[in-house]
Amino acid sequence: MKLADFQSLFQQRVLAGSGEADKPLLKKLRPSPRGAAPETLLDVYQRGYRIRLADFVSQDHPGLRAILGDEAFDALVDDYIDQRPSRNPNARWFTTGLPDFMRENARWRDDVAAVSMALFERAMVDAFDTADETPMTVQALAGFAPEDWARLAFEFDPSLTLLELVAGTIEAYDAAISEEAPEKVDKPAAGGQIEYAAVWRVDHESAFRQLEPDEYVALSEASAGHAFGDICQMTAFQQAGEIAPERLAQCLSSWFEDGMIIGVRVREDDQSSNTPSSA
Amino acid sequence: MEKPAPLGYGLGLRPIYYEEILSSRPPIDWFEIISENYMLAGGRPLAMLDRIRADYPVVMHGVSMSLASTDPLNFDYLRQLKTLAERVEPAWISDHVAWTGVHGVTLHDLLPIPYTRESLAHIVERIQRVQDFLKRRLVVENASTYVSFVDSEMSEHEFVREMAERADCLLLLDVNNVFVSSFNHGFDPVAFIDGVPAERVVQFHMAGHTNNETHRVDTHDQPVCDEVWALYEHARRRCGDVSAMIERDDNYPPLAELLDELQNMRDIDARISKERALSAA
Repeated sequence: MKLADFQSLFQQRVLAGSGEADKPLLKKLRPSPRGAAPETLLDVYQRGYRIRLADFVSQDHPGLRAILGDEAFDALVDDYIDQRPSRNPNARWFTTGLPDFMRENARWRDDVAAVSMALFERAMVDAFDTADETPMTVQALAGFAPEDWARLAFEFDPSLTLLELVAGTIEAYDAAISEEAPEKVDKPAAGGQIEYAAVWRVDHESAFRQLEPDEYVALSEASAGHAFGDICQMTAFQQAGEIAPERLAQCLSSWFEDGMIIGVRVREDDQSSNTPSSA
Repeated sequence: MEKPAPLGYGLGLRPIYYEEILSSRPPIDWFEIISENYMLAGGRPLAMLDRIRADYPVVMHGVSMSLASTDPLNFDYLRQLKTLAERVEPAWISDHVAWTGVHGVTLHDLLPIPYTRESLAHIVERIQRVQDFLKRRLVVENASTYVSFVDSEMSEHEFVREMAERADCLLLLDVNNVFVSSFNHGFDPVAFIDGVPAERVVQFHMAGHTNNETHRVDTHDQPVCDEVWALYEHARRRCGDVSAMIERDDNYPPLAELLDELQNMRDIDARISKERALSAA
């Protein structure tokens, strides 16, 4: 048997478990001198593969396990392992497709609270190892003339992700990771209510904060590169409620305080000629 | 055979020990990292690695090069590995006599091969290409295996010897893997150690495993057992001054227990040196 054929056969045994298809592989095995059954020895590889992948998912999704319960969570992980074999040599990336898998899979897509938790936890994992940047303090603004303030635009840490979640996702996650975490956490009710969150990294740890609707809109617009003054004028922002420049200034201050902002520049009228500032 | 200078007694760097290593500076001469765990854009793992690298020699040990796979070499992976090596400046880079998947799938495991002429030619050619790409000699480790194949045309140690000589690579002798595979397949572990080219061995791995009576599994979650310590002594007598380390990947004990295992290595090596000095006198 050619090496390529052997490897296809062996991999199939690991992915699919024992069955009729193993027979050519079983013929190629030498008997164990200790009397171990060939199936037992092949199961070391098969079981190891599934345990390893399940561990990766469990490590990255404590909240999802808590709201689904062990049985449903294990069923989800089994489905995911069966249908989305790992393709990246770095195991770090195996779990990253889980929320998309859930949204695309008939068995899981209607569980919007579970999908919401999976999205939140993926953002937490992704924030942990994005590129390093140095956050700015609010003192950076002192370098700009007051007449430029309305045109200030901000660059955010690459770890920052803004999420629209099923209401209660963050509370459930908090409960799941608390020191006295119960075995099962109540799943957020999927009644159409939503909440907003920012996830980012600060001091080498993933961080999150629930956002009020107006701050979510403001942060979305600011992270898209819109200038401070323009954000107040935006329809989307105004739809979120009564917005005063003072409120926006308060939000901006908290973004600096949270370590989200890594750059400030004056946005020119011609957006293509923006000049970064090192203020 | 020109080999990198021995580094002494090392430990596999794992996140659970970061803080203690940085705060207490335990008597560890060098660290081995799992390369893939640091092939990241940024964050805590790389920050910790930079701090530890500032004070200790580091070697990079990979688990995903898939040297024996019949899939094409993954140059995206190799580029990331090279980038990490430029940052870490490791004493050497290692991976395994194994494959991890085919058809674009990765099983995150070190899978066995039949020891055939075809497998040998295949892995030799791939090691040479990797060495050309990385512009350095690769260090290649014997893996633990649980099945062996009727198609094999040579023993594992004959395969490893010829692979190393034809590819002109260096070797990482995993003493625990020799023991685990010898138990599972019924070969003599001493003959294995005597059969590999000692002049190419630059590193020893020592680790614990799980005994399932009819087979043993390389779990790295137990202390090193007595039989593996005995084999270590034999390997040390044969290979001389080689960098040695403890691998622990689960069921983590207090760091002090791993330091005791390193001390055990030092004691064995001191005894061998003393015997040699006495016999030379």
